[in-house]
Amino acid sequence: MFKRIVVANDGSEGGFKALALACDIAKRDGTALHMISVEVLPNMPASIDEVIEAKTDENHKFHDVLAKARDIAKKKGVKLDAEVVAGHAASAIVAYAKAHKADLLVVGFMGHSALYERIIGGTADRLVRLAPCPVLVVK
Amino acid sequence: MMDNIWLASAVWIGLALASSLISIRLALSVALIEIVVGAFGGNLIGLPLTPWVNYLAGFGAILLTFLAGAEVDMAVVRRNLGASFGIGFVSFLLPYLGCMLAARYLLGWPWPQAQIAGISLSTTSVAVVYAVMVETGLNKTELGKIILAACFITDLGTVLALGIVFASFTIWLLAFAAATIVMVILLPKVGPWFFAWVGQRVSEPEIKFLLLILFALGGFATAVGSEAVLPAYLIGMALAPAFQHDPELPHRMRVIAFAVLTPFYFLKAGSLVEVNALVTGAGLIALFLGMKMATKFVGILPLTRYYRFDKREGMYTTLLMSTGLTFGSISALYGLTNHIIDQEQYTVLLTAVIGSAVVPTVIAQKWFLPKIAPAKQEV
Repeated sequence: MFKRIVVANDGSEGGFKALALACDIAKRDGTALHMISVEVLPNMPASIDEVIEAKTDENHKFHDVLAKARDIAKKKGVKLDAEVVAGHAASAIVAYAKAHKADLLVVGFMGHSALYERIIGGTADRLVRLAPCPVLVVK
Repeated sequence: MMDNIWLASAVWIGLALASSLISIRLALSVALIEIVVGAFGGNLIGLPLTPWVNYLAGFGAILLTFLAGAEVDMAVVRRNLGASFGIGFVSFLLPYLGCMLAARYLLGWPWPQAQIAGISLSTTSVAVVYAVMVETGLNKTELGKIILAACFITDLGTVLALGIVFASFTIWLLAFAAATIVMVILLPKVGPWFFAWVGQRVSEPEIKFLLLILFALGGFATAVGSEAVLPAYLIGMALAPAFQHDPELPHRMRVIAFAVLTPFYFLKAGSLVEVNALVTGAGLIALFLGMKMATKFVGILPLTRYYRFDKREGMYTTLLMSTGLTFGSISALYGLTNHIIDQEQYTVLLTAVIGSAVVPTVIAQKWFLPKIAPAKQEV
């Protein structure tokens, strides 16, 4: 039985698979579901305009992601508390999970570029290492 | 093939397109990728720098600097003048002095070459800092605004140094300074009036009006031994409030700049890198990069303590204020173009500048991400 479930959704197919499974678990355990989505801004931008452009794109994307996620949760009869933050996926998700005292973190497959993964590290790897609770990775 | 102007154009634009696609794939700055692709292009296939390429590249540098100046939030700078000026000035002065003195006394470079080293490595990337401010929500706080304003002051210091250090001190320099000051005073009022008067038209009289001023002052600057990017940055700052009120015009200018002008600038900057000098100058590159980061730390880290950042956030902010790319590359290329530094020194300085865009960012993200919760975003 889980009391506080957090799901991370980046708007990808994997993210929505994670949401669907998290909804099922929340429904089974009769608990509310918290969803976090992270807007990723460009690394090493050369102008503020690049940042603003990326932020605007991400805002549009996650506006739709939130609407779709709320719709899925409503159909499954689960109360969804959703939030969008900007930053680095792993650290933002861990901070959110800690803030909500999560006892389960459900994540979909969230990939950066191969180069980023090699230099900075994989998101799923870091979540498993840093999360304050069990992590369920959905593929 | 390069004698055929259209085939040569196809090669340059092809490299620019490849850079854009790589930057999208890697989620890295297109400017950075263009420099690297330019270095490969210059060393592997040879990219002849014809007069028209040099013109487009120079035009790109002027427009890039103008747009950077137009991003300055003057209200924030004015409101926090003391703190932002203090941090920004220290952030410029210490790396400038440190790298210049290292070049002069450790490496024995003559003063003009040492000056170029100091100026190239004095910069801070406003864009990198801005991205972090948005992520942490600090851009909405007074503290974040102070830091961002400080970055603008640092860049202003770099541009002023580049424009003044090598200028000929004659009566014409005074005339140039007077003309620039008059424009800076008049444009905040005349500019918006003119834009409203002509309206938005396909023939873009607004952009032509701005280019006329940038070219005229740039030409004046060059004639007195200064640098065209100096008036461009100042004119951008003067028009910043008008542009922030109506961002459509600078957006159209950015489209022109980033589509067809700045790729020539960054590809050219990369094409002038000598691969051999990268190997022989590896120690110098490390020295300059280390000196830039060390002097930024000496200047900024104590200030983060003063403003009560915790240790991790202080390190993170300091590392991000150690980044730099655009103005560093402009300064190094200015030195090479004006025969102040040679191609080997240019390679060393440009690579150190690129290193300062990459190394502090990677260290900051890998080991010093702040533990504060990211700010909630309205979408």
